Amino acid sequence: MDARPLKILVADDNQSDRMILCAIVKKMGHIVCEAADGNEAIEQFMQQSPDIILLDVIMPNLNGQEAAREIKKLAGEDMVPIIFLTSLQEASDLAACLESGGDDFISKPYNKIILQAKINAFSRMLKMHNTLQQQRDVISENNEHMKHEQQVARAVYDNVAHSGCLDLPNIKYLLSPFSIFNGDVLLAARRPSGSIHILLGDFTGHGLPAAIGAMPLAEIFYGMTAKGFLMADILREINIKLKNILPVGYFCCTCMVNLSFRKQEIEVWMGGLPDYGLYRHQTGEVERVKSNHLPLGVLSTQAFDASTKRYEFLPGDKFYMWSDGIIEARNGEGELFGEARLFSVFEDKKSEDFFDRILSSVNHFCGENGKDDDTTLLELSMVDESVVGKVDIDLSSGAITGPTDWHMVYTLRNETLKTFNPLPVMLNILNDVPALRHLSGQLYTLMAELFSNAFEHGVLGLKSELKDGAEGFAEYYRQRGEAMASLEDAYVTFDFDLTPTQKGGCLSIMVEDSGKGFDYKNIKAEPVNQTNVMYSGRGIPLIHSLCDSLTFLGKGNKVKVSLSWQTQPEE
Amino acid sequence: MSHLNLAQIQELKEVMEEGFDDLVMTYLQDSDAKMKTLKKAIQVQDSVQVAEVAHSLKGSSANICAEELSAMFKKIEDSARAEELDQVPYVFEQTVEEFSLVKTQLQQVK
Repeated sequence: MDARPLKILVADDNQSDRMILCAIVKKMGHIVCEAADGNEAIEQFMQQSPDIILLDVIMPNLNGQEAAREIKKLAGEDMVPIIFLTSLQEASDLAACLESGGDDFISKPYNKIILQAKINAFSRMLKMHNTLQQQRDVISENNEHMKHEQQVARAVYDNVAHSGCLDLPNIKYLLSPFSIFNGDVLLAARRPSGSIHILLGDFTGHGLPAAIGAMPLAEIFYGMTAKGFLMADILREINIKLKNILPVGYFCCTCMVNLSFRKQEIEVWMGGLPDYGLYRHQTGEVERVKSNHLPLGVLSTQAFDASTKRYEFLPGDKFYMWSDGIIEARNGEGELFGEARLFSVFEDKKSEDFFDRILSSVNHFCGENGKDDDTTLLELSMVDESVVGKVDIDLSSGAITGPTDWHMVYTLRNETLKTFNPLPVMLNILNDVPALRHLSGQLYTLMAELFSNAFEHGVLGLKSELKDGAEGFAEYYRQRGEAMASLEDAYVTFDFDLTPTQKGGCLSIMVEDSGKGFDYKNIKAEPVNQTNVMYSGRGIPLIHSLCDSLTFLGKGNKVKVSLSWQTQPEE
Repeated sequence: MSHLNLAQIQELKEVMEEGFDDLVMTYLQDSDAKMKTLKKAIQVQDSVQVAEVAHSLKGSSANICAEELSAMFKKIEDSARAEELDQVPYVFEQTVEEFSLVKTQLQQVK
């Protein structure tokens, strides 16, 4: 028994009976309060909130049954066991006691053992009831909390995994409003070339694990598509990302499609999904497109196969993608909708509105029972490119794009010029531009040349032809030491300007030094490889070979180079 | 012949401890008053009140271990509920006698 004493209300109009009951209950270690009739019993109940009530049936003023009804009403959802005290013997009288809200009865003369057993039984029941009530409250609180979290997660998710260009006129789709928590993802974006990337993903599991995986997936998909990456690159990137972040056993069944208007074809990569349907407008035939890969997030980069299949896709042709929610939709009897029923929709050739007919077929099959929200369906049609319009390239989209449009000026003066190597800092910033990352070797050489030209030849006024002989080398460093010691009002300024272009980007760097400059005008027209000497030994030919253009400005103390690149591979 | 269930009354004494005397006194005073009420109700043939008071005395007598007395009150109660009061005055006479014996024995047990 619970060690905590209970508070027990004894309501009996017969004083001697009440005395005996009170004595028994007190002996059991409980606290007693008393009432001599029904009205007093209700009053005591309100004032004392007893745990258990022992209630005589026949009492003056308000009888036990009436009091029981009132007390149960006041108690609401709290459990207050009422044990009727009775010497009534008729079965109907006893039944009436229970109907009025009594939970049990005990007959006179009171038997100590039985009364004790009953009080203990109700005490256990009370404890259980209170535990249940607490748990229920905790559950409902948690549920509220979870709903709120899901709303927040949904808002974040919508910002990351927005629907892209799913609203294009050649796309029809249905996505469950709870899609982020059932693991379905549907993304669409235009490539800079105008073609369309579509990705349907079905994450294992539900809830937050699925939603969390969907975020990097969407980020990579939109970022890389906007930058013009090919499907294979994007899939490889998503695959390794998911493999790295998702726990074992979690992955994403995926179909990615590239629709090319110009080539009139679709390129498909499918992993772990049921067969899709490719409808041919001209013949009315439906070709099944099958998964031939493992889902994304399973294989390592080495083992991952990004190879795609190409299908001719002529005007009027339609490609249907779905999550297994459609195939696994159930009717009242628990039967699955199944692939056969799904593909049979295409057999009826009276019209080509298969999208609507698939949905109505599923709804009809499931009936009232299966208003299943777990359904994702997409129809992609081939139309003339003019129908979908031109691409609005958003070069700023996605973190993967990196900084694409910026300007920076970095000036080094006096002491700093002598002691500080500015190259790592500047290269670090340039390396934030993904397209420049694989040029970092080239960029380093370029920057190093530019800096040494500006400092050694410009600021310090040294001539590199000195370095030709062994003695000259020593002389060069002697002069350099002198010049360094008398440095005054010296500076080298780097001026970076990065701008996006239709196909990639362009970086121009202007370097200005505090030196006297040199006469570049007379030698400008000379073939580059013969002007080494005349450029006062500046490493011009090397610089020239590294960039698209090189121009001297002002009195020769300013040099401007530019470098441009393409991120969008040729199709 | 004992008019009380002696085993039970022993148990009751244990439960009540020092409150036992008080209980006996309360029972006797209460019952005295109720017997008077019962007598009047029988005289005026108020079967509803007869049943009610007899019911109450039946219960408290049982609790005080006076089994025979409780059985007599039950007889009166049952008759009154059946609206058959003919035999009741006779049973009541017996009850008064039994009550006084119970009273005596209770005072001895104290």
